[in-house]
Amino acid sequence: MATAFKRKGSRVVAKMAAEEREVVSELLTQTRQLVAPNDGATGDPVEDMMASIGRTADPDELASRDPALARLLPDGHREDAEVASEFRSLTEHGLRQRKAANLSTAIAALDATRGEKLELDLGQAQALLISLTDARLALGERLGLRSDDDSEQLQHDIVEAGDAVSDDPRLLTGLYYDFLTWMQESLAHALL
Amino acid sequence: MTGAPVPIVESVSVAPPEHASPDVDVDTDAERQLDQPWVTIVWNDPVNLMSYVSWVFQNYFGYSQAKAEKLMMSVHRDGKAAVSHGPRERMETDTEAMHGYGLWATFEKDV
Repeated sequence: MATAFKRKGSRVVAKMAAEEREVVSELLTQTRQLVAPNDGATGDPVEDMMASIGRTADPDELASRDPALARLLPDGHREDAEVASEFRSLTEHGLRQRKAANLSTAIAALDATRGEKLELDLGQAQALLISLTDARLALGERLGLRSDDDSEQLQHDIVEAGDAVSDDPRLLTGLYYDFLTWMQESLAHALL
Repeated sequence: MTGAPVPIVESVSVAPPEHASPDVDVDTDAERQLDQPWVTIVWNDPVNLMSYVSWVFQNYFGYSQAKAEKLMMSVHRDGKAAVSHGPRERMETDTEAMHGYGLWATFEKDV
């Protein structure tokens, strides 16, 4: 059973069962698969950056994009589609690379842990904190959480289902979402 | 597991914000646009936690706890808040950074 994160000097520690840690690692890995650039990157950072400059987003790809990915990569301008498109072409590739790298840092920290004690330096803790946001945004989109009412309805349905909660895929996803929320809340307070 | 904390509430408005027309003379318009400050807006969403949003404002902008919490509460209550002001290029940088943190941000000309 997991305990809340606590700040200890320049480190942040929590207890977490191996299976809980594996679930979090798996959810972050799925989020990384969703967000990592899938554009035939060469692996050479300079070459990839040069290739990405000025690349205009394909409108068909944007329109047909997985809503969870769209939520992670929002428009930068609300009224001017041209400005939003230009902003996207300049920033999206780098943003996806940074999100993927950040998720990798968090996944590596979780996977390197043996036993129940999860101990992170501040860089790892920050990477995990931000990674939990991306994973929760993706899960929240899958769960159709668009408003506070949606969140309340989900909590109501989870309580109502009782022991049958794991029979319903949506409610099971809701439990994962709740666990990530609890973990992120505790980590944010440890870092504040 | 304890119960989930209350997330930032209310759905995000998809309607564009109301804008007043800039009250400028035509012949000085271009000149004024150069000086015109831009803003970075963070919008409310039902997923991001209040504690996290406050942490982002402190961590990225270097705002005090009091200022970060005030801005976070504006996002929470009013649906959005202008979190930084300055030249367009810097607001684009801030918007990109907010997207990196998973916050819903846009930049626009301050009117």
